[in-house]
Amino acid sequence: MTEPQKHQITDKDGNATKDRPWIFRTYAGHTNVRKSNELYRNNLAKGQTGLSIAFDLATQCGYSSDEDIAKPEIGKVGVPINTLDDFAILFDNIDIAEVNTSMTINGTSMWLLSLYVALAEERGVPIEKLQGTTQNDLIKEFLARGTYVFPPEESIKLIVDMYEFCLTNVPKWNPSNVCSYHLQEAGATPVKELAYSLVTAITVLDAIKERNCFDEEEFERCVGRVSFFVNAGMRFIEEMCKMRAFTQLWDEICIERYKVKNPKYRRFRYGIQVNSLGLTEEQPENNAWRILIETLGVTLSRDARCRALQLPAWNEALSLPRPWDQQWSLRLQQILAYETDLLEYPDLFDGSPVIESKVNDLKEQANAEIQKIMDAGGGVEAIKNGYMKSQLVVSQADRMSKINSGEHIVVGKNRWTDGIESPLVRDSDGGVFKVDPESAAETVSALAATKANRDDAKVAECLKTLRETAIKGDNMMLASIACAKARVSTGEWTATLRDVYGEYRPPTGVEGQSLSIENETLDTVREKIKTFMDTRGHRPRIVVGKPGLDGHSNGAEMISVAARHAGFDVIYFGIRLSATDIVQSAIEEDADVIGISLLSGSHNEIMDQLFEELDAEGAKGKVPVVLGGIIPQADAEALKEKGVSAIFTPKDYDLMEVMNRIMDIILAHDAE
Amino acid sequence: MQTNPLNENQLNQLNQAAELKKLPIAKLISLFENRSEGTAQQRHDIIHHINNNPKMFTGKGVTIGFTGTPGAGKSSLIAELCKTLTKNNDLRIAVLAIDPSSQSSGGAILGDRTRMHSGSKNRNLFFRSQASNLELGGITHNTFQATRLLRYLFDLIIIETVGIGQNEIDIQYMSDHTFLLMQPLAGDQIQFMKAGIMEIPDSFVVNKCDEERLARTSYHMLRASLKQSKLIILNAKDNFENAAKDNIFLTSATKNKGIQELAEFIRSIQRNHLNEDDFNENNLNENSQSKGKKPKDIESFYLQKAIQELYGKFGLGILSQKHDSLKQLSGYEEKIAFATTAIEQQILRR
Ligand code: B12
Ligand SMILES: Nc1nc2c(ncn2[C@@H]2O[C@H](COP(=O)(O)OP(=O)(O)OP(=O)(O)O)[C@@H](O)[C@H]2O)c(=O)[nH]1
Ligand SMILES: [Mg+2]
Repeated sequence: MTEPQKHQITDKDGNATKDRPWIFRTYAGHTNVRKSNELYRNNLAKGQTGLSIAFDLATQCGYSSDEDIAKPEIGKVGVPINTLDDFAILFDNIDIAEVNTSMTINGTSMWLLSLYVALAEERGVPIEKLQGTTQNDLIKEFLARGTYVFPPEESIKLIVDMYEFCLTNVPKWNPSNVCSYHLQEAGATPVKELAYSLVTAITVLDAIKERNCFDEEEFERCVGRVSFFVNAGMRFIEEMCKMRAFTQLWDEICIERYKVKNPKYRRFRYGIQVNSLGLTEEQPENNAWRILIETLGVTLSRDARCRALQLPAWNEALSLPRPWDQQWSLRLQQILAYETDLLEYPDLFDGSPVIESKVNDLKEQANAEIQKIMDAGGGVEAIKNGYMKSQLVVSQADRMSKINSGEHIVVGKNRWTDGIESPLVRDSDGGVFKVDPESAAETVSALAATKANRDDAKVAECLKTLRETAIKGDNMMLASIACAKARVSTGEWTATLRDVYGEYRPPTGVEGQSLSIENETLDTVREKIKTFMDTRGHRPRIVVGKPGLDGHSNGAEMISVAARHAGFDVIYFGIRLSATDIVQSAIEEDADVIGISLLSGSHNEIMDQLFEELDAEGAKGKVPVVLGGIIPQADAEALKEKGVSAIFTPKDYDLMEVMNRIMDIILAHDAE
Repeated sequence: MQTNPLNENQLNQLNQAAELKKLPIAKLISLFENRSEGTAQQRHDIIHHINNNPKMFTGKGVTIGFTGTPGAGKSSLIAELCKTLTKNNDLRIAVLAIDPSSQSSGGAILGDRTRMHSGSKNRNLFFRSQASNLELGGITHNTFQATRLLRYLFDLIIIETVGIGQNEIDIQYMSDHTFLLMQPLAGDQIQFMKAGIMEIPDSFVVNKCDEERLARTSYHMLRASLKQSKLIILNAKDNFENAAKDNIFLTSATKNKGIQELAEFIRSIQRNHLNEDDFNENNLNENSQSKGKKPKDIESFYLQKAIQELYGKFGLGILSQKHDSLKQLSGYEEKIAFATTAIEQQILRR
């Protein structure tokens, strides 16, 4: 045996070795349970060890596929789950005692976990064998992702219920996963990402402590179950430092705040999805390089290397990825892990004064921000008073302003924009994935069949117990599992709890926000607004609406802030509204234009609803409607025929130009 | 100013508005908010027509104002009140919510709808946002103008002001009853007294009293402050159960507490104003400072405000000289036209 050298990693016998690669993940699920089951079985056959399940928005928000609000969304961005019968098909021929199942589910986490536990019990699988994660971070749902269901306090209460239940009954389950990923996608700077996600972890652990349901040893184990889901953007050196800062800050919090003695339970365990916000619609092939660079930030440094990695695809800003697109991204991970020497070295950056200084700087700023929030009442309070949300909008507005001014360079977007068209988008499908619109019928009829066959008295009894347990404030897990077995539906479980807990709309964060854009286009727009005011006697009014269950709020927020900056009066009242809400509001406000933002792929169905509502009120054609978001080129013509005056997509980043076009539409409409 | 009969379009619009159809009401509000020339005549004609057809326009338009610090929960509380007040379908309610405009662009983000469960098809509830247009006072000339119309269509008009700071107290001129909304234990109470704002409200609401303990302490604190300030005479003994007797309400908009009681109180205000002749302050509250505000007072307040905005002190001077001639005129548009002409003439003469 030779003496190991500093550049080598050694095994426990002292021999030079190399690390095992991180876990390669593919986030998947769409259409219906049968199709998704095929997809998962294929992936597992290819050697993938874990499942990462995407649910459709109705399931995430707690509606069954037979409810009106769910219909446009069935199977669009994930798999729809209504009852235990659906779960049985989704996991058909998949050994749930073996597989690690990660579920991107939040507002309805407890319900989905209950279904999984019920499935195991019906299959005779001991539930202590189940392993996986429910994302279940509600704070970031209120801040960035939008699939919350209950008010903040009740949301936290349900998370604590799950920790309490899982620690003894399903010990290998991660009841929740603290997410900073979505915060960066909503605009967070590295400091805000660090601070707000750590505040989230503190909020959950404090609530668990307050319940006082664990002894010291159990509580340590519980802290050990907290894992993180983090983002990594283009500034990859800073991102690497952010990961180091995360690790250190978490260790400090575990020691100081929670007195965790066992280092194993203090380890910062994290998975990564790299940044998608910066991936462009323009010259989409460039995104492949961006994804690679972002990956470096979370793999280069051994001490801050992720445990699992999931990558977006080159066509991120066009549509959901097709199987080939996902494969191409997976290949990147395999090449990095297996063709290079990355995994042979100890940490490359230990001792670098540059890195250390940067890490300390991030830590210091993050600590100050954490302290500020804790002093002002903690995480739940900072949701309710809108502080964190408006901070995210501040950063997003800053980012957009800089892209607009050219200070923040994005190749192919605001620099080097001329180029040869990519052959990738010349595929017959235009590089775009589409869910078969007929497939929803299968889901709806399966639900009808389950409802016809179940024991209604049993369902009523289980829902009654569920309600009573909620009113009493007891742990909800057992009552939920009983509901699952009785074939209660997702919508029924959620509606019962909504009735007890109430609903909540978080602050939108846009009030008082501004942009720092000063350019000629702005002058032109303000000139047009002045003309409008002179003839019409009021400022142009825009109603910015987010109909349906789509939670992508960035676009609507930026458009609202931009419109105010230009001089519009803006009516914006948040996400998850119905077409009726928006149309009625636009009518009451006598809007000069309605601006709809949709990124969830349900634009065709929802725009139909919107125009029907306008028609019913005798307002169709009386107010112009513009649409923005992820709208595939192929749908544009039909949408315009339905009555959409203009369509804006991510390439329309020049906000004052967007306002200019909207003003032209208003003025032209006026002239008619 | 001459008075023209309404044309067929105008008549249609107005008749549909009387049936509470939303689109025509919205268009009419825009007409009343419209500041460009030529629209005054239309407003004048419409008000004239309404006054000549009282059977058609049955709204009683009792106006309730909610003012208070930003974020105190005005919108949330109004939303809950509206839910309760529209339940029996016997009250027609319009809500006007005012938000601040941007100093630099003049534009505004009107976000009060976030809290309202608005945009419903229920014709008995109409919600409209207004921008402050950088006017001081917490409400705007547009609020006044919209109210002139809405009072003929609705039974209750609820106004949410911009969060108050200094000088933002115009709501008292506009509303038949003004509520000052506060948050518990925020030191607000003391602040208000210092700023002299305690003089405005007819009633106090401490919102965000999610738990009874908080409601009780808030009540005792507020009562103590009021007693010390001697600005109003307190009726009841220091007894939480009798808070309403001193026009103090403890509510939680999110936990739905105290809403029913406040809604009942608002109903009683509305009933008491139904017939001005029957109006009996004692029914409302023996010592309340609430006086049924006459539309005429409001008009002259806004007339002055509008003239001051356009012509400053100079305009106000002339306005007071013309006091007697103005009294002869009946409509607001007529008065403002008269005053403007008089002032313009003076300017020309100088
Ligand atoms: C950021 C992001 C998120 C963030 C959202 C944060 C937030 N609060 O907004 C997070 C991480 C939370 C998220 C989550 C999800 N996402 Co996402 N997300 C994105 C991403 C990367 C960028 C969108 C964005 O914010 N861009 C920045 C803003 C400023 O641009 P914009 O919205 O495009 O708006 C511009 C124009 O489109 C236009 N515009 C937009 N709206 C309007 C309105 C008007 C009136 C006007 C005039 C103009 C206009 O002007 C704006 C300014 O330039 C896109 C992919 C991409 N690169 O576009 C995927 C994407 C939209 N997401 C997608 C999916 C599937 C999801 C999930 C549903 C996944 C899942 N199954 O759970 C979740 C659930 C979210 C939910 N509740 O609905 C898909 C949608 C697929 C589809 N339509 O078919 C996309 C396309 C990614 C992909 N390729 O798969 N996402
Ligand atoms: N805990 C608690 N929170 C409340 C209550 N009422 C309102 N809130 C919260 O307080 C915040 C502000 O509420 P709004 O109704 O928007 O307050 P506002 O006074 O209309 O605010 P501005 O119009 O911005 O001045 C929101 O987050 C509400 O959810 C309440 O009774 N209890
Ligand atoms: Mg408000």
